[in-house]
Amino acid sequence: MVKLDLERLKGLRAELKDKNKGDYIKVGMSTCGIAAGADKVYELFKEEIEKRGLPISLEKCGCLGMCFAEPLVEVGMAGAPVVIYGRVNTSVAHRIIDEHLCCGRIVSDHVYELRRS
Amino acid sequence: MVVKATIDGIPVEVEYGTTILDAARSVQVKIPTLCKHPDLPASAACGICIVRVKGNNKMLRACCTPLEDGMEIITNDPEIVEVRRTVLELILSNHPDECLICGRNNNCELQRFAADFGIREERYSKFLRDIPADVSTGTIELHPQKCILCGRCVEVCQEVQDVWALSFLERGFNTRISPAGDIELNESPCVKCGQCSAHCPTGAIFEKDDTSKVWEALRDADKYCVVQIAPAVRVAIGEAFGYPYGTNLTKKLYALLRRLGFRAVFDTSFGADLTVMEEASEFVKRFAEGRGPLPLITTCCPSWVDFMEKFYTDMIEHFSSAKSPHEMLGVLSKTYYAEKNSIPPEKIFMVSIMPCTSKKYEITRSDEMFASGYADIDVVLTTRELARMIKQAGIDFNNLADEEPDHILGDYTGAGVIFGATGGVMEAALRTAYFFISGENLKEVEFKQVRGLDGVKECEVDVAGRGVRVAVAHGLSNVEFILNKVRRAKEKGEDLPYHFIEVMACPGGCVGGGGQPYGVTDELRIARARGLYEDDEGRIRYAHENPYIKKLYEEFLGEPLGEKSHHLLHTKYTPRPVYVR
Amino acid sequence: MGNMYKKIVFIKDTNAGKADLTRHYASLFAKYAKPFIEDMQLYVVRAADLGIYGKGMVVKIWPQNIYYASVKEEDIPEIIEASVKNEGVVDRLLYRPSDKQMRIVLRNCGVIDPESIDEYIAKDGYGGLERVLSGMSAEDVIEEIKKSGLRGRGGGGFPTWMKWNFARSVSSDEKYIICNADEGDPGAYMDRSVLEGDPHSVIEGMIIAGYAVGASKGFFYIRAEYPLAIERVKQAIDQAYEYGLLGENILGTGFSFDIEIRLGAGAFVCGEETALIASIEGKRGTPRPRPPYPSVKGLWDRPTVINNVETLANVPFILLKGGDWFASIGTENSKGTKVFALTGKVKNSGLIEVPMGTTLREIVFDIGGGVIGDKKIKAVQTGGPSGGVIPEHLLDTPVDYENLQRLGSIMGSGGMIVMSEDDCMVDISKFYLKFCVDESCGKCAPCRIGGYQMLNILNKITNGEGEERDLENISLIARAMQRASLCGLGQTAPNPVVSTMKFFEEEYRQHIFDKKCPSGKCKRLIHYEIVQEKCVRCGMCYINCPVEAITGSKAKGFVIHQDLCIKCGKCYEVCKFGAVILK
Repeated sequence: MVKLDLERLKGLRAELKDKNKGDYIKVGMSTCGIAAGADKVYELFKEEIEKRGLPISLEKCGCLGMCFAEPLVEVGMAGAPVVIYGRVNTSVAHRIIDEHLCCGRIVSDHVYELRRS
Repeated sequence: MVVKATIDGIPVEVEYGTTILDAARSVQVKIPTLCKHPDLPASAACGICIVRVKGNNKMLRACCTPLEDGMEIITNDPEIVEVRRTVLELILSNHPDECLICGRNNNCELQRFAADFGIREERYSKFLRDIPADVSTGTIELHPQKCILCGRCVEVCQEVQDVWALSFLERGFNTRISPAGDIELNESPCVKCGQCSAHCPTGAIFEKDDTSKVWEALRDADKYCVVQIAPAVRVAIGEAFGYPYGTNLTKKLYALLRRLGFRAVFDTSFGADLTVMEEASEFVKRFAEGRGPLPLITTCCPSWVDFMEKFYTDMIEHFSSAKSPHEMLGVLSKTYYAEKNSIPPEKIFMVSIMPCTSKKYEITRSDEMFASGYADIDVVLTTRELARMIKQAGIDFNNLADEEPDHILGDYTGAGVIFGATGGVMEAALRTAYFFISGENLKEVEFKQVRGLDGVKECEVDVAGRGVRVAVAHGLSNVEFILNKVRRAKEKGEDLPYHFIEVMACPGGCVGGGGQPYGVTDELRIARARGLYEDDEGRIRYAHENPYIKKLYEEFLGEPLGEKSHHLLHTKYTPRPVYVR
Repeated sequence: MGNMYKKIVFIKDTNAGKADLTRHYASLFAKYAKPFIEDMQLYVVRAADLGIYGKGMVVKIWPQNIYYASVKEEDIPEIIEASVKNEGVVDRLLYRPSDKQMRIVLRNCGVIDPESIDEYIAKDGYGGLERVLSGMSAEDVIEEIKKSGLRGRGGGGFPTWMKWNFARSVSSDEKYIICNADEGDPGAYMDRSVLEGDPHSVIEGMIIAGYAVGASKGFFYIRAEYPLAIERVKQAIDQAYEYGLLGENILGTGFSFDIEIRLGAGAFVCGEETALIASIEGKRGTPRPRPPYPSVKGLWDRPTVINNVETLANVPFILLKGGDWFASIGTENSKGTKVFALTGKVKNSGLIEVPMGTTLREIVFDIGGGVIGDKKIKAVQTGGPSGGVIPEHLLDTPVDYENLQRLGSIMGSGGMIVMSEDDCMVDISKFYLKFCVDESCGKCAPCRIGGYQMLNILNKITNGEGEERDLENISLIARAMQRASLCGLGQTAPNPVVSTMKFFEEEYRQHIFDKKCPSGKCKRLIHYEIVQEKCVRCGMCYINCPVEAITGSKAKGFVIHQDLCIKCGKCYEVCKFGAVILK
């Protein structure tokens, strides 16, 4: 990696901003999430996405703050609302894969909305 | 820069940076404090010295807060007094009520506060920590249960003495003083200087009391008890009897010791004269004759010797092999004196009255301390212990008539008596070394450059056309500067920075020793040293002119550094582990 | 794959107490929509939480993202007609939820991958630094922070620009920036989340601080109990070095700055500035007297700025958006936002960030969703072991530094604990005091012994051994600690006790004089009894008692032997008939 200077930093940022991320699934992997089982959920997504060849990227992120509902998983897919799932254990994760990722059906009883600006 | 402010309405002008505590003192306002000692930086531990700025609710610690321009300080209002009292009561709730059987009874800063504040009940439940005493060194005892954690001992041990034997362990309510690693003191780097005990406000650290051994010997008809007093004792003992600081009570002490029952009363200053003879000869041998490494370093101080044997083992070859004055006198009492007076040496019981706790350690530090075939010194008492003996014996010390010492080991010169002050050994040795090299006495006998309380004192003296570079350090933290210079020069093969170095472990030298009466400050150190220098002025100024020293060499020893001297008056040094465990 | 629905409806019963009607409403919605559901490609989702509370049935319709509140069954066809089949709105039911949270510090937390510097850069990361190094002088930077009104988020609330300016104005061969990540208040984890979720924002803040102060070296002081945070910070530092954002000649501008990590061994007092410095220097972590202040004489006697994680995370955004923008948020003297760790008896415990000036009631009820079990709220504790309680009648106080202090609490680092009628205030103050007693460094007498003695008195009181004199003694010790302790830990340790005594003195008196604990928390002051009239002699209490303190038989009835009872409360829990009572 070439060290950045002011110009190159600007250029890199513009480039990164333009990049279209596509469909993604994000797992909150901070201490709070991991303590609640996020690492297991993450592994499960990883395996299933590979196994089924789903065109979706799996990402990690920090803590959203909704500790009462950990582990938290965010799913963003084109043509559908971005949804944050809470209290995602492995069986909920399976449902997310089967229903949401494959059929666009958002999984009931686990949708959490974070009100922020 | 000058700061103008008021304290309790009294206008005050002090140098910028002066603390509120010191500023208050300058206008006769005494703010109470339990942890601040004039020798040491504020640790701010006790919380008693709180004051406030007018109109401000917050309270400041006077010990560590600099006075600022325009401050209106209030040192006394109902709330301040209430808070001080509560803090004191809290400290007392964590302190055993053993005043009557405590080593500091009647001489304890905490006890005095309890009296001053009129504490008449224990408001809070008593919680004592069950921490065993540490008596492992046989010189200084730790009684952590009585510790109020003012931090003075730790500060003096770490920062003034650079020994780092004492530290705080654990935290919160369980915090206690102890050698790091929770080992015993005799397994730690402790050099027994006793500065911790001299600075402790309570009975948490004090000297091992050996007075009972002395009483026992004095009552034993079979024992021939003899005694010697160190130079620094004579100018400090008076503090325990209401004399002004630095009063020289040598002759009263002689009288007193005879009253106590000693058969012969000697003076360590005579031993100091002898040390000068041997050490100056050593210096001449190394400096003028080029035999033996330079610089030569003095070894009268057992704490310094212990420190060097632990931390500066590379300097051992530079150490003077001459024993300390009281050891020399001790061995002579059981040889020379015993012979001359036909006393069986095994019956002689030699007691040293010393300003020092470390001397208690020194008397068994190596085989050479038994050169007479017996323990050259049987017991060492500190000045504080002697003061207690005087009071126990019911002697009206203040009104005793003067007496003279016993001969052949009691008559001393001014050179010997200034051993008790920092720079004194150097000055005395130079006087004689100059004579040995040039064959004549100095024109200007006093070396003002090596006197006084600067931590490191350096000067160059012209001896027969050759410059002798000397350095004097007191307070072990000042040693590093000097010895690192020597190390650097040796490594690089450069000219030596010094030819002759004197080190005394305690700040101020023996006058500020760890066994001296409590409450030492620089003011006291200066006053005590002045007492010694005044004694010097009224006497023969040169050790080599002491008639009894001459006689000693003629009748018994032969010559300085001779075979007999070597056997009786010299010792060896050996590297020792910093930590035993 | 891909979406097959044109409309998605989220439904949630926001009055859900014990009887959650969400499922019922969702089926109603499905029922009314059934005839058209295929055509409309509609999908109905039961939401778990829409961030809206106490507004009856709430319906959210995607993709318009409109909300309807207090929806009754009869409204459903109208909603379907207007907003599902068409793009219209039913005005009378329309609801605009207010976003009580405002995320500046947490702007990237849970959003970006904390292990990717690229994602941070894509979110305008290092944009603040870029602006600083594109021609701003150090004075300009400090001026911008001054304009912003940013104050220390570690608890003290000291103006950040002043700290920076002090250190800047002292000349020295080296200066240091320390990020204080020794977060230790019980129940607080704001800093951990920021370090784990967005480490680059703190690093960027440190570099900017270094530039403003004239420092070339920074230390992260992170407690060793935060392994993941340490890992992420380490990784982030490495990435920043790789990109030339740390090290020599940053971004080719000639400015150099290095950062190292130092781990704290878990002593709470090491969060205190001077103790923290001692710890980094390798000494015993005890505070030393101030002055001199660290900004004049700090780490290795050099001018040192110590800022908390949250403070530093604010810095890049201030430089990016401008100090004036930041100053437009918050109250008169407290600008920007504050992150709180909302815990205790609140439904939605978690990490929140609100503009200064938000009231405690809004935080607890609009964000936190109210009290667990819909119990009565008793108080909110802020400021952790250095803080105090704010009783229910003062919950409408806008949160800022001055207001909380006026009420005898403090902003603190951001712990906020909700207490219900089940919480005993003496017990709570005992908990906090115990924490400070355990964490006292032991250096100064008022804190070391005062805390211990006060805790002893509280223990007596909760054991039913309280005496009249105890209240006076607590006050005396509290004053001595507040006035005469050396550092903030000791000075503030009595706060939880003083503040509960101020607002709940009656509760203390009940403990001392009546030997009663009204909340039933203090075991030595309560006992359980069986009311024979209500007892059906089912024997559940008898079976469940772990210490055989209940004897009797189904024929004769049961009785609790007080001398054997350990007051675990099991019998009380298992009795379905209310026959076991707490006295």
